[in-house]
Amino acid sequence: MPDHTCRMTRRQALGLFTLPFAGMASAATAEPRRPRIVCLDDGLAETLLMLGVPPVAIADRQVWETWVVEPPLPPDIADVGTLLEPNLELLQQLKPDIILSTPYLDGIKPLLERVAPVMTIGLYTEAGQPYRRALEATRQLARLVGKESEGEALIAATDAYFSDIRRQLAPLSARPIYVVSFMDPRNVRVYGKKSLFQEVFDRIGLSNAWTAETNYWGFSTVGVDGLATSSDARLAYLEPLPEGAGGTLTESPVWNAMPFVRNRSIMRLPAVLMFGALPSAARFARVLASAMIAEAARG
Amino acid sequence: MAEDAAAIAQEGKPASAGRASPWSFLGNQPVGAILLCAMLLAAALAATVSNLTVQLPAALWLQSLAAPDVADMRQVLVHYAFLPRLAVSLLCGAALGLAGTVLQQVLRNPLASPETVGVSAGAYLALALATLLSPSLLAFGREWIALAGAFTAFAAVFALSWHKGLSPLSVVLAGLVVSLYAGAIGAALIVLRHEWLASLFIWGAGSLGQQDWSTTLWLLPRIGTAALAIFLMVRPLTLLGLDDEGARSLGVPLGAYRFAGLAAAVALIAFVVAAVGVIGFVGLAAATLARIGGARRLGQQLVMAPLIGGALLWAADQAVQIATGPQGDLLPTGAITALLGAPLLLWLLPRLALGLETPALTAEPLPRASRPGLVLAAIGLGLLLLLGLALLYGPGPHGWTFAFGDELRPLLSWRWPRVLAALSAGAMLALAGLMMQRLTGNPMASPEVLGISAGAALGMIVALFALSDAGRPVQTAAATIGAFAALLVTLAIGRRAAYAPERLLLAGVALTALFDALILVLTATGDPRAMLLLNWLTGSTYGVDVSAALLTGGIAVCLFALAPLFMRWLDILPLGSAAVQGLGINLKGTRLLVLLMVAALTAASTLIVGPLTFIGLMAPHLARRLGLSRALPQAIGAVLAGALIMVAADWIGRTAIFPRQIPAGLVATLIGGPVLMWLLRR
Repeated sequence: MPDHTCRMTRRQALGLFTLPFAGMASAATAEPRRPRIVCLDDGLAETLLMLGVPPVAIADRQVWETWVVEPPLPPDIADVGTLLEPNLELLQQLKPDIILSTPYLDGIKPLLERVAPVMTIGLYTEAGQPYRRALEATRQLARLVGKESEGEALIAATDAYFSDIRRQLAPLSARPIYVVSFMDPRNVRVYGKKSLFQEVFDRIGLSNAWTAETNYWGFSTVGVDGLATSSDARLAYLEPLPEGAGGTLTESPVWNAMPFVRNRSIMRLPAVLMFGALPSAARFARVLASAMIAEAARG
Repeated sequence: MAEDAAAIAQEGKPASAGRASPWSFLGNQPVGAILLCAMLLAAALAATVSNLTVQLPAALWLQSLAAPDVADMRQVLVHYAFLPRLAVSLLCGAALGLAGTVLQQVLRNPLASPETVGVSAGAYLALALATLLSPSLLAFGREWIALAGAFTAFAAVFALSWHKGLSPLSVVLAGLVVSLYAGAIGAALIVLRHEWLASLFIWGAGSLGQQDWSTTLWLLPRIGTAALAIFLMVRPLTLLGLDDEGARSLGVPLGAYRFAGLAAAVALIAFVVAAVGVIGFVGLAAATLARIGGARRLGQQLVMAPLIGGALLWAADQAVQIATGPQGDLLPTGAITALLGAPLLLWLLPRLALGLETPALTAEPLPRASRPGLVLAAIGLGLLLLLGLALLYGPGPHGWTFAFGDELRPLLSWRWPRVLAALSAGAMLALAGLMMQRLTGNPMASPEVLGISAGAALGMIVALFALSDAGRPVQTAAATIGAFAALLVTLAIGRRAAYAPERLLLAGVALTALFDALILVLTATGDPRAMLLLNWLTGSTYGVDVSAALLTGGIAVCLFALAPLFMRWLDILPLGSAAVQGLGINLKGTRLLVLLMVAALTAASTLIVGPLTFIGLMAPHLARRLGLSRALPQAIGAVLAGALIMVAADWIGRTAIFPRQIPAGLVATLIGGPVLMWLLRR
């Protein structure tokens, strides 16, 4: 890819990731009427927000604020209750044109179909490859809301952003990295094959220290000491932390004997939706890269 | 007199019972128990060697035990993870075995266990509450929070059974109610805030994983002190096995020792729960195995049960590590022991000497309504008013409104199937509970306790995890098959004892524990499908559509049409087996028919409101307390009350935290629990 196109898309990328709505507002005014979309998956919802067509309602705003964080959720988006049991009476009163759902919610699909047509898009399946599925989903959603060019721009920007990060991290990419979420002081979810994070790793040229099997959401639950398999690995852990995880860990001899603790190669990352789509993938690349660069700067 | 085998054995030779000491087994060894213990220890040792070999060459074992090389991760893991885990498994197993024995002795009930006295559930709930509401409390140590919860639950059980002189049955009944209630609150928290409680799942499922020796060192002095206290009380505790008059005539202050014994046992359980979470079934299994293995005197049991408990948990934990690889936390050992312990108990049941079967109802004068029709009319009117409210009144985007006309029609199409399903399920559960209580003469009997609900849930789990796309019809069919399979197991076990009440109850408790263990294992793996299951288990009417509602309503109508045929039997059965046979009724055949009816009622209702509600336990009590004493009026009263509670629960669940919803089964438990406790107090 010639260098100047990279610079163009990089600028686009910055626009998309730092100011998601600045460029979109003008485009939106030209629309005759936005479809009223209820979106029951946060990965799909973040994609819609990036396309400039926010859904009228999502499930569980609280989850978004804790686990997705970015892009910020506009205050006028309604909350229809929990993901597994969105309030049907409220859904009906919101009069949506379409409901976006996932295979995970197939059990309630017949109920949702009584409210509005349901479109099911699965990012996470037995087959894995959530990133490739997220690309397809982005195009599908872009077609749905008539924003094909914005969809392609988002895809191109994300790809370009990864290439950019890959170049920045090239000098730092020798050592493998574990990416984990703490469940309690003893146990972590470690992300591997079939996870979004793995696919980001592949694209920004990092190697995942966790190569063992994972479930179909792309993680495996193991004790902290299960992360001792690789001696030169680094550890990146995601917020939010369960209460108490930080306090007791530092006193544990096993924790203190872990290679990454003795090497002081530990990075704390802000929350990133681990079951997300392109925006989460890009956010993960960004927070990981800045943590790695900050670590390298410390020496 | 409701004594267990130990008590009966002691009654045979009261003179020697008074002199029993911990070492008396040397003269009259419990050979079976010692053999069993040796076998368990051998298996555990073999598994340990195998696990250790995988982790570290044998040449380094001694070094890693004494002074591990910190640079060698393998040695660090053996010294700070593998060995403390082994020590904790031995300590916890022994503590639970000891606690189980003391509980069974003091309560004079072979059903007594950590779960039965509510301690495990109380500790678990306290930790869940602290995590969600006041995380800063956790900084003081989760142990103390769990202890506070355990003792609060025990205090509640104590208060509920105090006025009955802490009689064995009232303690177990209160313990069961407190357990169910604490469990329901915990489930509500998980349903509403599940993403925060993954760590509780792991802990709650009894993960023995360790990172250092701190838990071992924390447990040692505490378990040691409680054990010492128990061994100092051997003589008075032995006398508690006698009946009250016998013990009192020997000048033993019964209440004081009963309290001290219970407190020591609860402390033991609380320490274990605080350290590693809920370890299912070890306490019950160890105490039972010790007695079956020939430990007749309390002194022998107090030695053998901890040995067996320790060996059992050690072996189980090493087996789990063989399955998951070293330090695997994916299969929480506590849940696995329950998985293994439940079938063991089912196998043991027919071989267990439970003593005389007696109608366990405490002879307490209850009011008799002079005009039962009036009482029934009042409940019926209440139900009608509630139905109107449930269908018409509710919150929307613009606040609470009564819906009318065009506005009402779309809302009604969502509301009426849920209301009808809740109504039918509540009514059926109430009838099933009434029939179980009349059949067994046991106020604790209900479909939930019988294990039929658990069977339905197990069927559901199999459908969700074995089939890739299990829709509602498939789930329904699987749950029905599960319910009837559980009934068949229960019946097969009950047949030997001619469907005697206590064996059925034990079988049901074992099945329920098996099911709880499965749920814990599944949720601890963090599989999001487990949330689907949890939603259904807590009795959500969310997924009920028109066809499901009509199906449930139709089944209810058919079964209620059969109900009058049972009323004469239900009047006679509580009089006892002699009276029934004296009237020329085939006892076995009658019992079988009643149980089949109960199974059908339970399967149909469990599919709607989940297995965790205790309408079946509560509604017949309510009807009886309102003065409805004969079978027919009590049945009608219970059915109306069950329907009323369930409809109210569904309405509250839909509206209280709009737009979120609380599962109806859970609300029923939350509002029904205090009602039941209040009834028990009177």
